[in-house]
Amino acid sequence: MPIRSRATMAKIGKDKRTVLDLALAGFLAALLVMGLKRPFIWVLAFIYVDIVAPQKIGWGFMAALPASLLVFVAAFAGWLLFDGKKGTRFTFRQFLMVLLLAWCAYTTLGADFPEEAATKWAWVWKSLVFAIFLPLTLRTQLRLEATALIMVLAGGSIIVSAGIKTVLSGGGYGALQSYVGDNTGLYEGSTLSMVAISIIPLIVWLARHGTIFPPDWRVKSYALCLGFACLLVPVGTQTRTGLVCIAVLAVLSLRYVKQRFLLLGLMGAIGLMAIPFLPQSYVERMSTITDHQADESASTRIAVWKWTLDYVGDNPMGGGFDAYLGNSFKYKTRHVGESGSTSSVEYVDVVDEGRAYHSAYFEVLGEQGWPGLFIWMLLQGLGLIQLEFVQRRLRKSNDKRDRAHASLANALQVGHAVYLVGALFVGIAYQPFIYMLVALQIGLVLQVKRNAQPALPERPKRERRALKPVGAVEPT
Amino acid sequence: MRLLMVDYFSLAVSHGVLILAFWRLLWRDDLNADPQPGDDGENREGQANRA
Repeated sequence: MPIRSRATMAKIGKDKRTVLDLALAGFLAALLVMGLKRPFIWVLAFIYVDIVAPQKIGWGFMAALPASLLVFVAAFAGWLLFDGKKGTRFTFRQFLMVLLLAWCAYTTLGADFPEEAATKWAWVWKSLVFAIFLPLTLRTQLRLEATALIMVLAGGSIIVSAGIKTVLSGGGYGALQSYVGDNTGLYEGSTLSMVAISIIPLIVWLARHGTIFPPDWRVKSYALCLGFACLLVPVGTQTRTGLVCIAVLAVLSLRYVKQRFLLLGLMGAIGLMAIPFLPQSYVERMSTITDHQADESASTRIAVWKWTLDYVGDNPMGGGFDAYLGNSFKYKTRHVGESGSTSSVEYVDVVDEGRAYHSAYFEVLGEQGWPGLFIWMLLQGLGLIQLEFVQRRLRKSNDKRDRAHASLANALQVGHAVYLVGALFVGIAYQPFIYMLVALQIGLVLQVKRNAQPALPERPKRERRALKPVGAVEPT
Repeated sequence: MRLLMVDYFSLAVSHGVLILAFWRLLWRDDLNADPQPGDDGENREGQANRA
């Protein structure tokens, strides 16, 4: 798949391209070899491939390599054949994902746009199946940490590039590209903004409680730089959703802070001081956040959401993936014209068709109908509730491990809440990264339950009595 | 071209840290089974330091 423009490719020597391909392939091969000793590494390798998509970064043979399929088969076979199954359970939230998967399959069969629906189904089912599978492998404390770490570092790979480019070039809406020029997965601006902000609590947790990289000045410095890069992504991509996500994160992170008003004031002051350093185009775009009438993008959203509500009124079971392609509507946008000292307001009719949902909630509603939305909301809501229970139960525990679990529950809950707010404005209902976060939440809840169970005392080994022949007489 | 160098730099740094993380995991026994109560603290740190 040609990802970069021909002009860019021409600038780069063939040798450099081959080196990049070889480096990425070598990295992947190293992971596959390591998995021979620890099959769980194959599961982590799939997470890496799914987030970074190295097959899209490479140009030559890497682009032709079915890396995702290869690693998924290794991960699943490794778990099935070589990994222990002790302590694995199938939870209600996994069952909900199975139900969502089955419902999506059903709506795809009767979709309004069968071809487009089949294309979306091709990646959605993989995302859901992996999220159902992942908690089965998360049997130990270290596996939870490793999953969180690889998700952060793999996502961080894209974020570091986007952050540095923002500093160097200022970015621009739809203009900031990291590695590849396509708009799928985490490489889409709004999605990257939302994910970047939602992983900040996880970065903090890893820097405080990590054992793979125990906290020291190097780990804390890397975490600080990565966290800063995360905050720069919404600036670079110039997505308003990102700014909303930052505000949500700021408010939620005050929960366990003692002097919260002081910190809130400090955050506000830093925010105000940062404004002169922000690109002018970013400030202008953000200023439209409260005025949807003047903005075509915001007006379209509201029109699409109204259309979706009408649509499910007639089709309560949903129209299958990409049902939005059938929409067509007319709406008005407000334009303010200035001539001399007078300004005039003009309302212009805009006709639009086939506009995307721009909201995960309306995406699920339009595509999967009310039953699908109910399952999806239950899946999200139960996660927040379970993580709340974990925090309340373990936060004041004397055990260091319990407090680390409570802290992880808080990080995952805040990250998920950021996602749920960001999802109001971006169609990311089936984003694989978020389903990995869901799987991690399930794994944490299971781990907490396992720890709460009293350890069974080891069975004393019974001494084997030597068998005596029948009728043998003991010597006296 | 400068932005392309940023891509290479980010790829190198992030993949360097990733491979180090995988390498450390490779030698951790508690990846497959949680340590029993009583032997968690020192052993885990020891394993991490050895890695």
